[in-house]
Amino acid sequence: MDKIVVENLKYKYPLTDKLVLNDISFKIEKGQFIGIIGQNGAGKSTLCQAITGLVPLFFKGAYGGRVLVDGIEVAKSNISDISLKVGMVFQNPFTQVTGSKLTVYEEVAFGLENIGLNREEMKNRIDEALNLLGIYRFKDRNPFDLSGGQMQRLAIAGIIAMQPDVIILDEPTSQLDPQGSEEVFKAVWDLKKRGITIIMVEHKMEKIAEYSDKVLLMHDGKVIDFDTPEKIFSRDDLMQYGVIEPAYTRICKAFDIKDSGLYPVTLDRACEMVVKYNEHN
Amino acid sequence: MSKKSMWSVKFSTASLVLIPAAVGINYIGKLFAGVLKLPLWLDSIGTMLASMLAGPVIGALSGAINNIIYGLTMDPISFVYAVTSIAIGITIGILAYKGLIKNILSAVLCGIIAAFVAAVVSTPINIAFWGGQTGNIWGDGLFAILVAKKFPLWIASFLDELVVDIPDKAATLIVSYIIFKGLPKSLTNLYDNKNEIEQL
Amino acid sequence: MKSLSLYQERDSIIHEIEPINKLLYILTTILIMIIVPSIKCAVLCMIISLMLLLKANVIKKVLPIINFSFIILISIIIIQGLFNINNKTVLFNIGKIKFYKEGMMYSALIVIRVINILCAFALLVLTTKPSDLIEDLVRRGLSPKIGYVLSSVLQIIPQMTSTMGTIMDAQRSRGLETEGKLINRIKAFFPLIGPVVMNSLIATRERAMALEIRAFSSKNKKTFLNETKSTKLDSSLKYIFIAAVILSIIWRAAIWTK
Ligand SMILES: Nc1ncnc2c1ncn2[C@@H]1O[C@H](COP(=O)(O)OP(=O)(O)O)[C@@H](O)[C@H]1O
Ligand SMILES: [Mg+2]
Repeated sequence: MDKIVVENLKYKYPLTDKLVLNDISFKIEKGQFIGIIGQNGAGKSTLCQAITGLVPLFFKGAYGGRVLVDGIEVAKSNISDISLKVGMVFQNPFTQVTGSKLTVYEEVAFGLENIGLNREEMKNRIDEALNLLGIYRFKDRNPFDLSGGQMQRLAIAGIIAMQPDVIILDEPTSQLDPQGSEEVFKAVWDLKKRGITIIMVEHKMEKIAEYSDKVLLMHDGKVIDFDTPEKIFSRDDLMQYGVIEPAYTRICKAFDIKDSGLYPVTLDRACEMVVKYNEHN
Repeated sequence: MSKKSMWSVKFSTASLVLIPAAVGINYIGKLFAGVLKLPLWLDSIGTMLASMLAGPVIGALSGAINNIIYGLTMDPISFVYAVTSIAIGITIGILAYKGLIKNILSAVLCGIIAAFVAAVVSTPINIAFWGGQTGNIWGDGLFAILVAKKFPLWIASFLDELVVDIPDKAATLIVSYIIFKGLPKSLTNLYDNKNEIEQL
Repeated sequence: MKSLSLYQERDSIIHEIEPINKLLYILTTILIMIIVPSIKCAVLCMIISLMLLLKANVIKKVLPIINFSFIILISIIIIQGLFNINNKTVLFNIGKIKFYKEGMMYSALIVIRVINILCAFALLVLTTKPSDLIEDLVRRGLSPKIGYVLSSVLQIIPQMTSTMGTIMDAQRSRGLETEGKLINRIKAFFPLIGPVVMNSLIATRERAMALEIRAFSSKNKKTFLNETKSTKLDSSLKYIFIAAVILSIIWRAAIWTK
């Protein structure tokens, strides 16, 4: 079953000439974890925003093709309705705090109040989201008093409480310290285990390789490839797209350690193959 | 471009979020002017920027909310001067929309226009509240001289406000204009409610 | 992180009253002063406000609020006492400088009126959390979007101020002169304010998107996490305010017919 269908998507921001998305098509199945990679300016963020309807509804500009979520065309819907199906987490944890709420608990309620949920249900969902993200103990704190990692988890909690089927994370750890990043990656992993469809843009390729069912490689507004992490990272032209494969893959590429033409992308798999390689020689 | 788009009251989220930033910028401007001991207030940079970016309605709202928040959290008197801030927001919004703020010189002129409007709106408040004074040493000094020379109260009060407002609003608009010029296009066109989705 | 506010946490009946009623109290006070523009009436209103502030246990906190207007009030007394157009009768003199009765009476009315309004406002701002006031207004029909803007300002200002110190230090360490000649200080203004303005404007884009994703523009009727509590007193207060206004109209009529 296809959760998201993108067909011949083209997009230009207002007052610019360049097609930032240039004839993009792909499909995502329910429950999949999709990693999006590509160098800065490739159009990754714009693509994410197109799936939530922010492109074109928020940014305007010139738009062609279709994005369907559960068969509904996002450009013809509105962002609040789509937000019940697709949630999105941005880079900067600071800008995602609404700023209008004095406690972490109330902050999570923001979206729920907007959609007019009743109080009982609201509280249940907030408790659940805070527990899932491991920040329940901060519930009475001011959101701005949290650390970067905690604040980003709060942003995710605010999205989870809306109970979307799809969550998009656009470089969620790029502004966090290593500890904060780990906290967020762990949270993302928990979400995946719950069967939520996840799309994550990330520069830490080890994480992309570890989590993703499929990886979308973008360059200059186009989809270069959309395949399993092994296939994507086994390509020999990654440099050209500003992508560096995970460390384990890089090492195995250097020694040409591969299995049916594919290099390993995770530590476990790399070890396995190195052992086998040693036995062989 | 229709008139409607300048006066549209259908706020986009981007323009609404501009308002708290504008109020914050007003506050920071005032603080920095204080720290540097500048002889000006420079406390409406944010309002003027909001007007230039998103038009007179958002500018006016930024002005109003600025004073409401000051009133609630610092000095209740500032509630009353919300009217003045609204007038400044509207004036700059119109001037910017008509394309009249296009270089430093025109920024000075438009600042003087804004000062006049501010003085016109503030004078009745100053008279009703303070018997015509403003609380600024230079302005009130002039006021005392004019009252002693038996000038009509409203003229004395108007000039009291104006002498202070002209340099302040002109300087504020110069600062706002310079900052505005430095903003990236991808940001400024976010507030433009004329944009439509074009089919590719 | 502190949210901007003059609110004083106390356990008093005044604190329990709905914010809207405190707003109506201010309105009633101003209305009465317009209807009966005499010192006697203003003093009466002020005594009531002061008693309520006492009851709320916040009377000490009123002084800093009045302080904001202190200098201008003093200068009004001086300027009016010296130069008011109607000045005829000398009240007293300091050396050669004569203070006149007419001007002093006029300035006394202004001072009492201002302090009066400040006290009425103080009752609201000292006993109500700004966020409660805003939420109360949204429940009563204020646009939730405007409500959002108002409450986010309360947190944005302290946040921007806290970055101010960092910027000052950073720019000073790069050799920026923030003292000395006026021209240097003027030049210093741009590198100081520039980064704050840029950052805060650029942040608005992502914040606007984040709000949209959380159904900020939803057409649904908004609900509230917090419950309201209204006391018995609240429902009767409105009638008390109306009665007060009617009484002041009668007072005014009595003055006229005299
Ligand atoms: N709001 C905007 N207005 C105009 N151009 C933009 C805007 N946002 C991004 N762009 C441009 O679109 C291209 C793709 O950007 P983006 O989607 O952010 O790429 P990525 O996330 O892969 O780094 C870039 O060339 C960028 O400069
Ligand atoms: Mg990006």
